[in-house]
Amino acid sequence: MATQDIFNAVLAFDEDTVKAKTQVELDGGTDIGAILNDGLISAMDEVGERFSAGELFVPEMLMAAQAMKAGLKILKPHLSAGQSKSKGVVVIGTVKGDLHDIGKNLVSMMMEGAGFEVVDLGVDVESETFVKTAAEKSADVIALSALLTTTMPSMESTVKAVKEAGMATRTIIGGAPVTQAFADQIGADGYSADAPGAVKLVKQLVA
Amino acid sequence: MMNRAIINFNKSILDQIHNRSLELLQECGIRFPSTKALEIFKSRDFRVDGQTVYFEEKDIVEALETVPSNFTIEARNPEKNICIGGGEYMMAPGYGPPFIIETSGEKRNATLEDVHTFCKLVQTSTCLDFNSSIVVQPNDVPTETAHLDILIGTILLTDKPLMGSTSSEVAALDSLKLAEKIWGNTKKPVMISLVDSLSPLQYSDESIEALMVYATAGQPVIIHSSCSLGSTGPITIAGSLVISNATTLAGICLTQLLNPGTPIVYGLGGSPTEMRTGGYVNASPEDAKHTAIVTALGRYYGFPCRSQGALTESFCLDYQAGMESAMMMTTAALSGVDVSLHTCGTYGSMLAMSFEKFIADEDLCGSLKKLMKPVEFSEEAFAMDLIKELGTSGNYLMQNHTMKRCRTEFFEPVLSTRAIHTKWQQMELREMDRRAGKILKERLSSYEKPDIDPTLERDLVRYAEQRKINSSKQLS
Repeated sequence: MATQDIFNAVLAFDEDTVKAKTQVELDGGTDIGAILNDGLISAMDEVGERFSAGELFVPEMLMAAQAMKAGLKILKPHLSAGQSKSKGVVVIGTVKGDLHDIGKNLVSMMMEGAGFEVVDLGVDVESETFVKTAAEKSADVIALSALLTTTMPSMESTVKAVKEAGMATRTIIGGAPVTQAFADQIGADGYSADAPGAVKLVKQLVA
Repeated sequence: MMNRAIINFNKSILDQIHNRSLELLQECGIRFPSTKALEIFKSRDFRVDGQTVYFEEKDIVEALETVPSNFTIEARNPEKNICIGGGEYMMAPGYGPPFIIETSGEKRNATLEDVHTFCKLVQTSTCLDFNSSIVVQPNDVPTETAHLDILIGTILLTDKPLMGSTSSEVAALDSLKLAEKIWGNTKKPVMISLVDSLSPLQYSDESIEALMVYATAGQPVIIHSSCSLGSTGPITIAGSLVISNATTLAGICLTQLLNPGTPIVYGLGGSPTEMRTGGYVNASPEDAKHTAIVTALGRYYGFPCRSQGALTESFCLDYQAGMESAMMMTTAALSGVDVSLHTCGTYGSMLAMSFEKFIADEDLCGSLKKLMKPVEFSEEAFAMDLIKELGTSGNYLMQNHTMKRCRTEFFEPVLSTRAIHTKWQQMELREMDRRAGKILKERLSSYEKPDIDPTLERDLVRYAEQRKINSSKQLS
């Protein structure tokens, strides 16, 4: 099982080996779908599970995601239209007035690792920017992050703006002061307390 | 020899931290995203590139020269004035949490009524020296004008020294307007405020413009920089110290450019990133080590310094809450910190406050204040005559020397139990949080609002109400 080597290398956070093994498999004629799904994506699923269980630390998870992306870069030119299609498009950002991005970056990385196309708008993002970008990219989900209680109202205004625009895009929220109750209160479609939970949530929403 | 000292640093280490901070200030600079701040730096010929300001050694040296080593903040009641940097450890309660955690473990949004309750506790506290400007962030009043509600509540319900708001330039100006109504147009310190930098190597526009308002008015500012080790700064304490020291020195420099002699409290912190989640951990030996080193650096520069307070990651009044709070506070006390915020009431990474934890922390703070008091070595304290008189057979309980001091010599805990086991078993409220709840009720029922001139009270309230109306008009 050569794709297992790729899987193992991602879990060893070993970017060089992921690249080398991916190239070897590609050159050797292994099915590209198998390299992608059994090697890279399933490795990131495992990373997500281990991270959720508290076994993996954040820097390790980020290095695994980076190793996975390096392998994906080698595969990309060879992927068919169907294979290269992402699982969905997520527009993500920290809301207006808030400059905290650690949590948002974690979620962003894990979503990419799980096969979603992620458009990261950064921090201090206006409601209109979320709406406009989501429309342009035909996003499935808008993910909003906030660390400050003072910026939580920006989540509400963004969720409201999405609804007023008549978009089918779902909204999810997260961040230290945010709760499921707040998500319900502002009419967001979901809440997660951590990054792997956010990935699971998005998978459910686009299913 | 094994070196277990966390308190005594040799000067060469402090020189290294200082010199490497200067290296960062010269090579990386500090980001000030405020046109007003950048104009000040440009007008003094600092090298400015975009929003980044670069500092030369002479700029920092000049700024350090004008920072006073101590200052007094006036309270509404002059008997409660406090001197910062005068050798005493000054304590304020929690700062900033948006939530209250109840004894049931339930978390709820904090309200203005909670602010008022905490003000009453501060007023009746025997160990807290001054108020916080956001003891909790109330969720039931508009964010833009919450500083007015909090300040009015604090001014009217307590007569201890105040903190001004730094949530924006407008909030700082409002704070000073209210202070002016009490003290007139004074240059004497009447209100201290906290400016936190962002990490790494920058300030937010709101906080830096608030800092400029206070510095221009000659009001003291706590300038505090910290990073999450391993996420917003280096994972090592040495790296964290350099990055935060550079940022704090840059902020101090700005205050002294605006108004030489502006009183400053110097603050650095650094907390580990929780590597399993990317979250923020406060109560930790690493943060406590920062406290010890920041005190050494404060003495090195000749500034009063600030540390964190009775922090814990726990959400209930358990062993963890007590252990972590005691570690953080004891390190600060023994290191010689001048000022701490968050000394009473904080739970869970400073995200929540608890009334019961507040009562428990008061026992901790009170016992530390007692610990720090110098031991008396007077003739009377040596009690030589009494010792000789009683020899080996004496009963000291029956002596006037004991009688005179029996209510003052020892620290008397309010919450902690010292009962024998039989009595403890018979206690109706054996659990600490339930006992704290009882004390809380007694404290609040014994609270008396401090005197204030009714005209001044009306004037203060009118200002706040008018500002709130204008603010809502501006918003709509």
